[in-house]
This record gives sequence, structure tokens and C-alpha cells, in this order.
Amino acid sequence: MASVTISEVRKTYGAVAVIHGVDIDIRHGEFVVLVGPSGCGKSTLLRMIAGLENISAGTIAIDDRVVNHLEPKDRDIAMVFQNYALYPQMTVAQNMSFALELARVDKATIRQKVDAAAAILGLEPLLDRKPAQLSGGQRQRVAMGRAIVRNPKVFLFDEPLSNLDAKLRVAMRAEIKSLHQRLGTTVVYVTHDQIEAMTMADRIVVLNAGRVEQIGTPLELYDRPVNRFVAGFIGSPAMNFIAGTLEAGQAGLKVASGAVIAVGPYPAELVGRQVEFGIRPEHILVSDAEGLDARVDVVEPTGSETHVVVDAAGEKLVALIRRRLPIAVGDRLSIAFEEGQGHLFDAGNGQRLALEPMDV
Amino acid sequence: MTSANLAAVQADAGRPPRDWVLIGLWLSLIVVAAIWIAPFVFIVFTSLKSTGQVMTTSAFAPPADPQFSNYASAWARGRFDTTFVNSVVITAIKVPLGLMISAMAAYALAKIPMRFGRLTLVLILFGTMIPFQVMLAPIFTLVNGFGLIDTYPGVILPYLAFGIPYQVFILHGFFRAIPHELSEAARIDGASHFTTFRRVFLPVSLPVLAALFILDFVATWNEFAMALVLLQDREMWTLPLGLSAFQGQFSRDYGQLNAAIVMTVLPATLVYLIFQRYFVSGLTSGAVKG
Repeated sequence: MASVTISEVRKTYGAVAVIHGVDIDIRHGEFVVLVGPSGCGKSTLLRMIAGLENISAGTIAIDDRVVNHLEPKDRDIAMVFQNYALYPQMTVAQNMSFALELARVDKATIRQKVDAAAAILGLEPLLDRKPAQLSGGQRQRVAMGRAIVRNPKVFLFDEPLSNLDAKLRVAMRAEIKSLHQRLGTTVVYVTHDQIEAMTMADRIVVLNAGRVEQIGTPLELYDRPVNRFVAGFIGSPAMNFIAGTLEAGQAGLKVASGAVIAVGPYPAELVGRQVEFGIRPEHILVSDAEGLDARVDVVEPTGSETHVVVDAAGEKLVALIRRRLPIAVGDRLSIAFEEGQGHLFDAGNGQRLALEPMDV
Repeated sequence: MTSANLAAVQADAGRPPRDWVLIGLWLSLIVVAAIWIAPFVFIVFTSLKSTGQVMTTSAFAPPADPQFSNYASAWARGRFDTTFVNSVVITAIKVPLGLMISAMAAYALAKIPMRFGRLTLVLILFGTMIPFQVMLAPIFTLVNGFGLIDTYPGVILPYLAFGIPYQVFILHGFFRAIPHELSEAARIDGASHFTTFRRVFLPVSLPVLAALFILDFVATWNEFAMALVLLQDREMWTLPLGLSAFQGQFSRDYGQLNAAIVMTVLPATLVYLIFQRYFVSGLTSGAVKG
């Protein structure tokens, strides 16, 4: 277990800057997920922690020891790669023992550690197989086994589940999470999949274009995104955004079509301001009472819930409905936004305008 | 449709349609194989015939009375006990050493970030572009200057100089194609560059190393021009040189000449048969997503 402190870290390739001063404080035993769209710098940041990339500026410290100039092997970390990176000519057991062998650990200890890791991951029957003889999930487990035997201070995962099919991904997700709970080792985990981030993380770091957008627990990010980017990135289906101008007298939001939509109360000083109103799909209710008139464009039943794309006042909105309602394309519905669940963002810089979910 | 017709149609349906392209390919393969095998059959048959038989029978007629003594005579007259040993010594040192140096150079150029790595690669590749015939006279002067004419190093060093560039070229391309995560995983595991090279990259590149080994073995074993220039003492001659002298001296004894040729190509054939089993595809499958 160890803490990882990333202070003002920058990365440039020639004149191109890809990380612009990142600060993250990762606590002992914490499971931190770095999430963001492709090219946001999350993998680069992880590789800098691992020592596979040079740090252009700033410091990275593991347990208060600055590791900027340490070789990867001296940082006491272990890494699991997206494409497993198993040594093809070695058996599972040899793959797992390679690092210990290089560290000149005695054979009995190596055997004991490999057996222990194999037991944790259910790899005992596979120890004599070569990677080519394993399925994707098994290879992923071997890659984790290789990390576990080293008993590192920090585990680094670089999109480890991206190559697995959907079902296996869910199973491995739970496995990694329970492994973390059992071992208690600090984990830094990179993914572009926000569901993976939400389900696994103690805290999530949302990165965009080489900058930290927000750091917080999954539900903090979900309930109180600090800007439009985080609001749109976290959550599936994504949050709905309606751009418009706030009207005087709490009338609501005047949208492009000229209609005024009721969005609940807002501070008087925001009147006349260009904003984006955000509402999550599950907070759009199909109401029997007087609401906003909407036409159903698409119906996507998933079984447990139904995603309904509606057109309301010229705006496309996605509603998530858990009840079984007889809805068909072309139907007209009356929808309402759940009280206190809306978010307001500045239309210019995307920053959150109301800190708390709006009261109604 | 009668029931017999129906049965025929059903039987046809179960058979894959005739692939004329495949048949054409097979036919051309057989023709090419025959063209390649014909001289070998000719040589082996002739090597077992007496001079009289060579003159009176067809080239492809099997020997009626095999003259195995041709081999013993050719061995003695062609001074194979000397030339064979020379060829073995030169090839046994040059081929593995050249491959080793090439593989290490290719790994360094492909996987270790270096300031002038690309320039170095281009300079090495430049070596493949110079025809060695052009270099024969300068090489002779150079080797003579070092006093290495008629010595093993005198011929092995120039062989290395001409063999390494194209091996580096091929291995560099191969190493670059190996996912960088593999070397990064080794680096995190605490492997030095040399350990990564030896324990991870060499085993993965066995097929290409085997291919290069065969090519280089055959090329070195059969090399004539440079050996002719650099080895003037008959005691230092290699097999191809011995063979050429053989031809002039016994030009009428085709049986012995061909027996000598068979003995010359046999080691190369054996090397091919031993190493061709390493030409297994998909050795890297399972390393990364696959």
C-alpha cells in the first residue's frame, strides 16, 4: 500500500503539450480511476507513474519518495497492459515468476508466491500452459497474476478490459474489484469506459485534453458535475442538454424554437444569461399532469428499462423509463423534469452555475 | 426428376465445387518443383555412374550399376578433407556470429531510443546497396594490409561486413513489429535491455532467425568470389574453390565431379531440413490480444 502524489505534472512531445499541469493525490489503498475520452492523456499519465514515459515537468511521488528519475523496476509498481503483454514463449508459471527470477528471489519463495497468486486468480490448472493456449479472460488473469506475485506498492491498470467481450468484462470488473478489496493495494486504473469507472472506483479523475476536469467519488461526479464536460461524460445514457436563455420571473428557459421550458427556480442574477440546462434521462418523467408536450422519435427497450428519444419544443431528449409503458414511435407524451435534479452550466465556458441541484 | 437423378444432385450438393484456380496453382507448383528437382536428380544419378555410363545413357536414366566409389575418389582427389574442414570452420564461426551481431544491432536500433538511431540504420542499410564485386580489390588491399590473407579471420571479417546489413534490415523490421508493451512489461519486471533481448525477443523471433540462418549458411557455404581473392593458399581453400579446381583437372570424369557436387550441397540441405521446422507461424500469438 502506498500513496501516489502527482504534482504539477506536465508532458510535452517537442512543442506539443499533452498534459498541462496535473495534480492528483492518491491515498493509501485507494482505487482511483483515470477516465476520459481518447487522447485525453490518461494513459500517458499512467505511463509516467510507471516510469515508461519521462516527466517533462512536475513531480510524481510514491509514498513521499519522488520517483521522477527512477527506473520502472525501482518504483515498486506493477502494470497490467491492455493487450496483456504476456511473454509468448513462457508458460503461465514462467510469466508470473519472471520478475522474481530477475530479482534473484530463491526458487522456493518464487514457487510459493506463484502458487499463492494462482490460487487467488484460479489459475492453478493453467500454470503449464502457454499464453496462446488461453482465452482472453484467462490471459487477462495471468497478466494480473504477474502483477500480484511482485506484491507491489501500486497496481497500474491500462484499460485492462478493453479487449474482452461485454459479459467477460462485467465478470472481470467484479474480480478486479474484489482483488483490490482482498489485497488492499493502491490501484490506479485507466479506462475510457465511464461505467467501468463508476462501478470500480473509490474516486474518479476525469481528464480532458490533458487537464483534470474533476476529481471525486463516482456519485459526486454523477450528482454534482463541475462542468458540462463531466456532466456529459459521466452517465449512460448521457445527460440531456438544452441550450437557451433564462427568462425573467422564473418563467424558464427560452430555447432555439422560441418555446419557454420550465426548468425550476434559478437565481435572479442569471436572468438573460445564455446557459445550458442539463437533465439526466432518468429525471425526465412521463407525467399524466400538464407537462411539456413531446413526440416519441425512438423507443429502445433494454428489458430492465426503456430509453425513449423524444422531441420536445424542438429539442431532442432521451428519457429513461423503468416502468413498462405502452409507448410507440409517433406517440405524443407529456413530460416533466424531476424536481431538484436539473443542472445549469454557463453556455460559454461550460462551468456549473448552481452549485447544488436546483430546489423547486 | 427421377429418384436416381435426385440422388446424384444431392451427392453433388455435398461436394465442394471444383476450384480451377487452385488446380492451376497446384499444376504450376508441380511444374516448378520438377524444374527445380530435375538438375538434382541429374546430379545424383550422374554421381553414381562411371564415365562410360555417363556417355552412353540418358542424363535422367537411373544408374544401372551404382559406382559408390566415385564418392571416395572425389573426396580424395578434391582434397575434401582440407576444403571441407575450412568451409565448416568459416561457416560455423561466421553464420552464428553474424546473426548474433545483427540481432543485437537490430534490437538496439528498433527498441532503444537513440539520438542518431535512424541515421545509424540508414548507414548500415547503405551497406546492402554496394555490390561486393566493386569492393573486391579494396577488400583485398585492406585484408592484405592487416596481414590476414590466407587466414580464417581474413575471410570471416569481410563475410560479416557484407552479411550483417541485410540481416539487420530484416530483423529490424521484425523487432519493430513486436508490440512495445512486451518490452515495457519486461522493463517493469526488472529486465535489462540485454535480458529483454535474450529472454523475450530472441525466443519470439526464432522463425525469422531460422530463415536467416538457412539463407546465410547457404550463401556462406557456397561463396566463391571473395574466397577466391582472399584465400590463395590451397591449404586454406573452401569447398567451392576445391570444386572449381576439380572441374578443370578431371573435366572428363563427370561421375566424380557430380559426386563432389552432391557432397558439397549435402550440408546445406541438412541445415535446411533441420531448421525449416522452426518456420512455424504464429509463434507470437498469445503474446498480446489474439
